[in-house]
Amino acid sequence: MPLYLPIAEISLNLFTLLFLGGAVGVVSGLFGVGGGFLLTPLLMFVGIPAPVAVASASLPIAASAITGALSHARRNAVDFELAAVLIAGGFGGAGAGIVFFEWMRKLGHLDLIIALSYVTLLGSVGVGMLIESLRAWLSPNLAPIGVNPSPQNPLARLIRALPWQHPFKRAHVTISLLPIFVLGFAIGFIGLVLGIGGAFMLIPALIYLVRVPLGVVVGTVQVQIVLTMFATTLLQAVFSQQLDILLAFVLVVGSVIGAQLGARAARFFSGIGFRFGLALLILGVGLRFGIDLVTHPADRYSVTHIEVTR
Amino acid sequence: MRAWLCLLWGVLMLTAAHAEEVVLTLSTREVAITTNYDGATLTAFGLIERDAATIARSGGYDIVVQVEGPRGTIVLHRKGAFGPLWLTQKRQIFEDTPLFLALLSSRPLSLISDEDVRARLGLGLHYRMGKQPAPLDPGFVSALQRLRREQGALLEDDKAVSMIRPNVFAARLALPANAPPGFYILRASVLSEGVPLKTAEAGFIVRKIGFDAYLTTNARQNPWRYGLMALLLTALVGGLGHFLFRRD
Repeated sequence: MPLYLPIAEISLNLFTLLFLGGAVGVVSGLFGVGGGFLLTPLLMFVGIPAPVAVASASLPIAASAITGALSHARRNAVDFELAAVLIAGGFGGAGAGIVFFEWMRKLGHLDLIIALSYVTLLGSVGVGMLIESLRAWLSPNLAPIGVNPSPQNPLARLIRALPWQHPFKRAHVTISLLPIFVLGFAIGFIGLVLGIGGAFMLIPALIYLVRVPLGVVVGTVQVQIVLTMFATTLLQAVFSQQLDILLAFVLVVGSVIGAQLGARAARFFSGIGFRFGLALLILGVGLRFGIDLVTHPADRYSVTHIEVTR
Repeated sequence: MRAWLCLLWGVLMLTAAHAEEVVLTLSTREVAITTNYDGATLTAFGLIERDAATIARSGGYDIVVQVEGPRGTIVLHRKGAFGPLWLTQKRQIFEDTPLFLALLSSRPLSLISDEDVRARLGLGLHYRMGKQPAPLDPGFVSALQRLRREQGALLEDDKAVSMIRPNVFAARLALPANAPPGFYILRASVLSEGVPLKTAEAGFIVRKIGFDAYLTTNARQNPWRYGLMALLLTALVGGLGHFLFRRD
């Protein structure tokens, strides 16, 4: 069944789009993270222009996180103070992101920036997660990698020395507001430019750097994702005007249904298997972009931009 | 000398035989893009009018129909090896280029007329691709034609025109879904034995109507409201999903 997307100005099959949204929802329900790193590339592979794909992917990411955010909030598994600082940083990062996004789009470098970022980000995070999950698999009693909290560690000492130390009650950590804000800023910036939620980076950062307990981290990140993704969507709608509401809506419906299926399927997997599977998935998408960069292209030429002038 | 020749030609045209007249009409003047739009098919009908004074043609008529869509800017990138990486090395901006071109005829153009006549009438996709600034890489020009052909924006069909009667023709245009909204002009040239006789024009418009037009207008003119509407919809669907599938 064809569906004409008014901003993308192409016609795609409705069920293809529902399926894409659903796949992202399943990943999100299964692993507890957004799945945007999967959605934006898939949208580009089916022919949606990169700016429209990035601008329209944030809402399905937010939608699949809403369910998780609501149920975690009800179980008191959200540190709202921590989330608020992350979101404040995220708004700032998204604001800086839209300036960068528009600048690169005007210069015609957006597609390359997106491809390179996907390779480096997904590649490094994927490899890190793979090593970590393999280690945990082979020797389950080993302590997880992370910032050593002993006073000798320079990074831990630096974070401790920063001003505005704040006790986050629910998360049971006392830490300066600055690194949390910077973390939120970075995730907001990356999220807007690449059309991803960034949970796959934020969750490890909060666990290993800030030492937020596992029980609180996912709920807090989901609250952060919903609001940061809302901010990036609004900025894209107003400044780049590349948000395709029809595309976003179909993806949202698919992802909400998929998230439920994923959450139900999640009961059949173990924690280590989870992380291993997610690492493979992230690495796979990163590799897909990487292969494009290193192999001799079948066609050296490509049409990157079409604009009606009259 | 040249002026004299022109005058002579004009006098000849007035006094000697009348040339054919062509009446052209389209099956539709407006292609409406709605939510389930997946391209459209248009038919142009033409009547070749003759009167008693029209000179007799021993051969039949040949019809060439050109369809030109809205013009715009196309950017092409070329990748090159940068160490082990293949990165975009060069780009070429094609300005004021038709974003849709179709060439419809009843038989291959090379059989209809010779190169000079085709060049003069601009019959051929390469004549219509727009004039570009001088230092132009020929690789980009051929890549533009090849890629736009692959995208369906350049069409050549030498079986799209049929003669219903010896002096009535029908040209069928299959407009792909990615042909941009805007004004399209259709030029039908009538030739006989390689000689151009008459060209008639007709236009049609492709535009979004109804829901799609409403969304596009809002996205451009009320971006804040459009964005907030998207957020509200997402919150509603997400919340609805949460309460429908609630397990705790």
